[in-house]
Amino acid sequence: MNDAMTKTPFGPEDMSRRKKRAAVMALILFALVVLFFVTTIVRLGSGVADRAF
Amino acid sequence: MSDLNTYAADTPATAEGGQGSVGDYFALLKPRVMSLVIFTAFVGIIAAPGAVHPWIGFVALLAIAVGAGAAGALNMWYDADIDAMMKRTAKRPVPKGVVLPSEALGFGLTLAVGSVLVLGLLVNVTAGALLAFTIFFYIAIYTMWLKRLTPQNIVIGGAAGAFPPMVGWVSVTGSVDLGSIALFLIIFMWTPPHFWALALWKKINADYTNAGVPMLPVVAGPDETRRQILIYTLLLFPITLLPSLTGTTGLFYTVTTAALGVVFIYHAVQVYRLREGVEAETACKKLFGFSTLWLFLVFALILVERGLGLPAFAPVLG
Repeated sequence: MNDAMTKTPFGPEDMSRRKKRAAVMALILFALVVLFFVTTIVRLGSGVADRAF
Repeated sequence: MSDLNTYAADTPATAEGGQGSVGDYFALLKPRVMSLVIFTAFVGIIAAPGAVHPWIGFVALLAIAVGAGAAGALNMWYDADIDAMMKRTAKRPVPKGVVLPSEALGFGLTLAVGSVLVLGLLVNVTAGALLAFTIFFYIAIYTMWLKRLTPQNIVIGGAAGAFPPMVGWVSVTGSVDLGSIALFLIIFMWTPPHFWALALWKKINADYTNAGVPMLPVVAGPDETRRQILIYTLLLFPITLLPSLTGTTGLFYTVTTAALGVVFIYHAVQVYRLREGVEAETACKKLFGFSTLWLFLVFALILVERGLGLPAFAPVLG
């Protein structure tokens, strides 16, 4: 990898902000997974295991 | 490839975007407005007849809050030019240059679509559709069309801020009932005197004049604005009592709200009466401050009535 390849238009502070944004996005995505999972369980209700197929 | 590397190394980061911090993106959501939306939507959920699973109620509230934030971000994207001209808004992320307009647009659209889908799919379709309409109304009807066109911008645009309790209500019932319309009307009629009191402040008025936003005090003058504030405040008084006629609230709400309404009218009369100097400015500030407290108290009264299990009146309307 030559020197030009490692250069980015972002300085250390910019990269730090980007990392924090990415971390928050990861948390939000995880929260969405939990949200959809729990909502599905709540929507199905307690009798779902006893239903007739 | 070498061209790309040269471009990457020489182009300043500000031209590329990606400068905004988590806090900047949070500011795009207009958190203060969002907190009011969350509160009024919560009251809509609690006031609605019937019951909803607490988790589904939470999901509804979350989607409504994110939808409100999306509307705020889209508003800041479109209004970046006039925000930059006003002292009150010049430090917002887009005019400050830390978030690009395109980033604000992408952020707002993503949240708008996501919140509508979550509400529509996980709660009910009617609530999702109403949230979509609310965001559309705030951005297309108010921000893009009315805000820069007519001094009645706040009157009609105020509907966007009045929808959240209705969306909360519909999240529970699945339909738009008279009770939800009563909650809508309270915020709808409250908005003009609240924002015109703010617009009458000298420095805020100067901001709107500089930016060319045709707020009522800029176009029709402070005297006409004072008259309109009084008219809307007088009209608001009976509308505040509508939830009692639709069977949503009872005696405690009715009596307390009537007393609060009298104080609101007193402040509006003071604004109408005092027209010059520091006293006039103070009267406007007091009305603005009280109207904020008034809206909180009126909606909190509904929560208190439900919390204490106080009986509501039998519905006269509906």
